[in-house]
Amino acid sequence: MIKQKVTIINDAGLHARPAAALVKTAGRFKCDFYIHMYGYKVNGKSILGVMTLAAEKGAELELELDGTDEKEAAEVIVDLIESGFGEEYEGQDE
Amino acid sequence: MEKNMKDRMNNEISLSGSPGSPGITIGKASLYRREDMAVSSGEIKDGEVGDQIGKFDKARKRSLTGLQELLEDQEDETVIELINTQIEMINDPDLCKRVETEIREHHQPADSAIHTVFGEYLDILKQNQDDLLDRSIDITDIRDRLIQFVNYHLPQAEVEQNTILVAKELSPREVIEFSEANIKGIIMGRGGQTSHAAIIARSMNIPAAVGLKNADLISDGNEVALDGNTGKVIVNPRQSTRQKYEKLIEQQLKQQAEIEAFCAEPNETSDGHSFTLRANIEFAEELDSVQKCRAEGIGLLRTESIYLQREHFGNLRMQETFYKAILEGTKPHPVTIRLFDAGGDKFFEMSQKEQNPFLGWRGVRMLLDEKELLKNQLKAILKTANCFPGRLRILVPMISTLEEVLEVKELMADARNELKEDGITVDEQPPFGVMVEVPSVALQAKTFAEHTDFLSIGTNDLTQYVLAVDRGNELISDLYDQRHPAVWKLLKQVTDAARGKNVPLSVCGELASDPVSACCLMGMGISELSMGTSALPAVKRMLRVHSLKEMQQLSRKVLESEIMDDINRIFREWTQKN
Repeated sequence: MIKQKVTIINDAGLHARPAAALVKTAGRFKCDFYIHMYGYKVNGKSILGVMTLAAEKGAELELELDGTDEKEAAEVIVDLIESGFGEEYEGQDE
Repeated sequence: MEKNMKDRMNNEISLSGSPGSPGITIGKASLYRREDMAVSSGEIKDGEVGDQIGKFDKARKRSLTGLQELLEDQEDETVIELINTQIEMINDPDLCKRVETEIREHHQPADSAIHTVFGEYLDILKQNQDDLLDRSIDITDIRDRLIQFVNYHLPQAEVEQNTILVAKELSPREVIEFSEANIKGIIMGRGGQTSHAAIIARSMNIPAAVGLKNADLISDGNEVALDGNTGKVIVNPRQSTRQKYEKLIEQQLKQQAEIEAFCAEPNETSDGHSFTLRANIEFAEELDSVQKCRAEGIGLLRTESIYLQREHFGNLRMQETFYKAILEGTKPHPVTIRLFDAGGDKFFEMSQKEQNPFLGWRGVRMLLDEKELLKNQLKAILKTANCFPGRLRILVPMISTLEEVLEVKELMADARNELKEDGITVDEQPPFGVMVEVPSVALQAKTFAEHTDFLSIGTNDLTQYVLAVDRGNELISDLYDQRHPAVWKLLKQVTDAARGKNVPLSVCGELASDPVSACCLMGMGISELSMGTSALPAVKRMLRVHSLKEMQQLSRKVLESEIMDDINRIFREWTQKN
């Protein structure tokens, strides 16, 4: 099992679109995937679960992955979150 | 008494909200209220479990079919993404499992099971989210949809054609559905500029005012004037107010129609010589207007913002995402990416303030001292280039010596090799060009043309260096004019040099966005111009109504001029003639 911490960096936080991207990516892997945040634990393959976290910019998540492809999954998922889901950066819409 | 009431009801009321989506419109208000969801109560019997689970499955399938049908007619990426998110929610494995558990173990009928499970999600969301950014509508919309399908009760989201829709709140799906009824505008009691409904309204070009706290003062059938640019709404407008808005609408329509019609015409002079107009941009949000004015790609993509606004600017991934979004949104045209072009003080804490920053540590000078920064950017660009063969060009700012060009080229080879070591082979050889903005480069244009694939003239800085005028200094700013005779003479020299070496030349400075100057540049032989999207239609119009021959005459006259008065006179004559 892998546990890894990661911080949300995109301005709008983990709202609908990034949540969809996250769930879609996680769905490609066989391993179980859970997200812990401020005492909540949600299934990382459930978009409704992920959305309810309402993780904002700066929020720290702990990812928990368990299964044969956990290493690969962790890498791809952390990359996605740290790239800000390809969303706009601070001040870009000014 | 009754008359009084009636008078009051017909009084003009001015309401203000936030701008949701630009545009002005007048129309009849059409109130929309979502129906309250009625769910069944009581427990089901053991024998009904399968039946209820079947109902839930069917409702899911129907919702999916509906969303997929909605998806078919969409072209806008934002809209497509939002619909896809809703599809993802309906397919949520967790949701299905929990609803089934409710039905099977707690003997709840399907509709109330859905209500319970969504209620749990919403409760958590409520505790976690910031009240200002209420995203619960995305979730309640799906809940209500599923319940409606379970109960076979589908209230038609009906609204009278060509009216202004007034609602407390709308889900993105509702905005999309209502847009099919040709609604003229949207007034929403809640939400802000970043609410999904506003985003969709913008991408569908429906004027909208959002966050109007007093939206409930509007009655069904009221006449309403809506200004989506300011968020202002006038209920029961007086004759004079109405006229004012009608005039604004007329102007807006005329402008839009003119611009759109013009932009759709081919890029050709009146005697059939073609030219190329591209856009200068900095943000992905500008891609919409790039498409609207039909710019043929990006002549100058500024990249400073990605760095200046981030603390950790080593993030290669983030740069790549940005570049890819731009190339994706401008298919099939080329995109010229300019390397970071800013003073060193923007990037680093500098212990010593430069006395003369414009003659100082900036552009390529700074990049060559900060090789990791430069190599990272080159890597991100090369990786992007590989995904979009033949479409990306690299432009280096603030070059003043040939050595700098050679050094950047060497670093590009290094970046390529390092990528290869990491297992990423880049076959693309993006054209490599330099900005002509320092007089030394303009004077040695022939030499620089021999070592580069293209040249791009930045007239803003070139003018300031040629005339030795800081345009920001009010005492002398009237000395700054990009149309100065000396600037034209230098441009002519660069043009001849580029032509002699058969190297493509473009202008991406402000000079290109002045319609008469654009004609003069074209007459001189520079047929590729890049400018801000708002300037493009006027430039295009001027170039289209004149012949190349006229423009050549214009440039000859301009090149013969000696003082600014000459230039002003020539330009005045040119505009008066038409």
